[in-house]
Amino acid sequence: MSTPNPAATPSGSPPAAAPGGPLYVALTGNPNCGKTTVFNALTGLRAKVGNYAGVTVERKEGQLKNAPAATPITILDLPGTYSLSPKSLDEQISRDVLFHRLPDVPPPALVVVVVDASNLERNLYYATQVLELGYPTLVALNMMDVAAENGHEIDLVGLAARLGVPVLPLVASAHEGIDALRAAILRTVPALAQTPVAARNFCALPPLFTRAVGDLAARLDTLFPHHRTATPPEALLLLTDDQALLSAGAHYPAEIRTAVEQSRAQLTAAGLDWRTSAIEARYARLGEIHAATVHETAPEGITFSDRLDGLLTHKIWGLLIFVVLMALMFQSIFTFAKIPMDFLSAVVDGIGAHVGSLMAEGPLNDLLVNGVIKGVGAVVIFLPQILLLFLFISLLEDTGYMSRAAFLMDRMMSRVGLHGKSFIPMLSSFACAIPGIMATRTIESPKDRLVTILVAPLMSCSARLPVYTVLIAACIPDIHVLGFFKLTGLTMLAMYLLGIVVALLMAWLFKSTLLKGATPILIMELPPYKRPVLYITLRHMWDRSKLFLRRAGTVILGINILLWALATYPKDPTLAEKSFRDRNAVIQEAFPTITSPADLALKLAALQAPPPADAPPAATNSVETAVREKLELIDREEQGSKLRHSFAGRLGRLIEPAIAPLGFDWKMGIGIVASFAAREVFVSTMSVVYNIGDFDKSDTATSSLAKELQAQRHADGTPVYTTLVAVSLMVFYVFALQCVSTVAVVRRETNSWKWPLFQWAYMGALAWLLAFLTYQGGRLLGLG
Amino acid sequence: MKVTGESASCGEGPCLGPELCPLSKVRAGTSVRIKQLTSSPEISHRLREMGFCEDQQVRLVSHQHNVICQVCNMRLGISSQLADSILVEPLRRSPVPA
Repeated sequence: MSTPNPAATPSGSPPAAAPGGPLYVALTGNPNCGKTTVFNALTGLRAKVGNYAGVTVERKEGQLKNAPAATPITILDLPGTYSLSPKSLDEQISRDVLFHRLPDVPPPALVVVVVDASNLERNLYYATQVLELGYPTLVALNMMDVAAENGHEIDLVGLAARLGVPVLPLVASAHEGIDALRAAILRTVPALAQTPVAARNFCALPPLFTRAVGDLAARLDTLFPHHRTATPPEALLLLTDDQALLSAGAHYPAEIRTAVEQSRAQLTAAGLDWRTSAIEARYARLGEIHAATVHETAPEGITFSDRLDGLLTHKIWGLLIFVVLMALMFQSIFTFAKIPMDFLSAVVDGIGAHVGSLMAEGPLNDLLVNGVIKGVGAVVIFLPQILLLFLFISLLEDTGYMSRAAFLMDRMMSRVGLHGKSFIPMLSSFACAIPGIMATRTIESPKDRLVTILVAPLMSCSARLPVYTVLIAACIPDIHVLGFFKLTGLTMLAMYLLGIVVALLMAWLFKSTLLKGATPILIMELPPYKRPVLYITLRHMWDRSKLFLRRAGTVILGINILLWALATYPKDPTLAEKSFRDRNAVIQEAFPTITSPADLALKLAALQAPPPADAPPAATNSVETAVREKLELIDREEQGSKLRHSFAGRLGRLIEPAIAPLGFDWKMGIGIVASFAAREVFVSTMSVVYNIGDFDKSDTATSSLAKELQAQRHADGTPVYTTLVAVSLMVFYVFALQCVSTVAVVRRETNSWKWPLFQWAYMGALAWLLAFLTYQGGRLLGLG
Repeated sequence: MKVTGESASCGEGPCLGPELCPLSKVRAGTSVRIKQLTSSPEISHRLREMGFCEDQQVRLVSHQHNVICQVCNMRLGISSQLADSILVEPLRRSPVPA
């Protein structure tokens, strides 16, 4: 876990950014206050906007739009936090930036606190803590529309007077008030150099307490003379927060630690609770501010949200609704994506055929058509499914349902020793494990966070979708079950469920062995239900598709070119000669009258071309049909031998003994090895493997690859891709950690190689074991 | 506040004293006043910071296994285990006007 080392930048660092460098404006606020939307509006950089607690987990910054070129302004979007006493890594980062304890983040020149107007009191708790730090500060009062709907009328002038800083009303989701906020930032910036650290106080403490804070602040002033924040709030935090000293590393000398302990003892002796006094005093002041500036126009009653919460978090109905939603989601991903995927597939084939016909035959033609176009195309046609998956995930987040699902799942999660919050990273991992793993930063306990990171990639991500889709289309009968549901859709659902169940089991196992710890206690804010904003949803889908396409254009393209080379070279010239002789022999045997090489070549070309479409079936006589079949067999043998002879074939055969017990042959082995970089490479690999020199055979139908797989036969004529093999292969893909990016992210998030390697190994072992059990168990049951 | 004739009280189970009971024993729809947080100092600290502090009035929105409370315009989901450690005083509602 990367705990920033506060000692690296002492508080006495020189003020603000280097001359001429950008000025930093920190954007901070509670989770769910719409901070990310404000950030997007200010910078024009549309970062992800979600609704569940802690969507902002990355360091996100962007240039303020329309800032003068001479003074570029960088807006830094800090993770949402409830107070300056951090409970998670996310919150700790926010605090450390505000106390400028992070070496790589310059201290902010100006702070914009985003406050949810519909939940003023709670939001002002953190806002006033930040105000007390003394930075030049603006308060952005967001969600004014929601506040008005809920019947809160806010006196903006009165609020600004009481807070002592400008208050700007906003409806960031509708872009209202953004220009005024931008203007206020630009207006404030030129005067910043002259702005002294302001003294603000929203905590009226008993005299003894005030004196203790003052004494400690004086010590801090002496120790850190170049303080950029006011010292009394820092002293107050040190006195009242158990963790403040502990989480600050070596920042504070022993003198401060002793002083804090002495003061606490004195306060306790005087009958003052040092833990609660400051919170109570602050809320008392906030209560006064609230009473003086907010006029409630609507009486509280049972709202639609109440009823919805009652239903969606109900232990039976809620669970049922969740399962049905998930089933519908996967069913529609499978059904609705079919039409655009057919279209894309036809386009890819068309491009391949066109490019192939433009160039002379040879290695370059082969590389372009089979390596590049077919390989990348095989992945790109899954774009519609990816878009739909992200549409659903985005809707779940943006409506506020995601956090209800997490709340509902807490019961189940707590049985395996995790928090309901761990469910959100797991659900996000259905889209991609990378944002999922990053979302674990909101989990307070480091052990629980690690367990969640370890199991999150077991959720089937969007990269598995192409693999499942192709295998299901090739090997699972398209029949209806239980009236409405299709077996294909149910198989897909089963793969997703398998991942979930095993993830929970593994979480339980880790929590009771490697990472033992008490089950965390659920405290979770449930954001209000919202109507999703269309452009935000579309933007999210677009951003994710761009990533997907970029990956297809870079990583996957690279792997495909490499793979094409591995599958093409070294060439064995004797193979082509042998096939040539075999073909001629077949023709001469059937048509003894043809003898000259020229005539043989003509006849061969005629037989290899498809029979004329207008010719009646009777016209193709039985001799010709038999010859055509024999020729096709020779073609296939030739391809098989070429592949077997190639580097890829040798590699596949090298690992074949390890995967044969799972029902996989060496060609699948090539796909598995290639997809250790990224899972979706499997489909493109299979396209390359099965279509070497065989482009024209591909169908214009959706799944030319699926048809290709169906056509694969063992030497004895039995199909290679049986239902059992396909299921075993899918099970393997559910568990194996075949994603370089995930390994890299886990390495970054855990700050060690130990955990990503452990994860890779345990998931690999699970994949092999469960695929083995599936295949061998299926055979015992007579399924294979 | 919705006004009904029903007098609010702990839903079931043993109450600690005539007026004090754990939040986990309160019926959904009831408004209560928080009297005491008995969980660990760290958790109580966070609850208080989130506005869930002594003498604060909260309303129980939903009570399944875990509970959902409305605390000053914010909805907070808390586990049943935590709700056990929060002692509250149910608020008596005034009778429905005729």
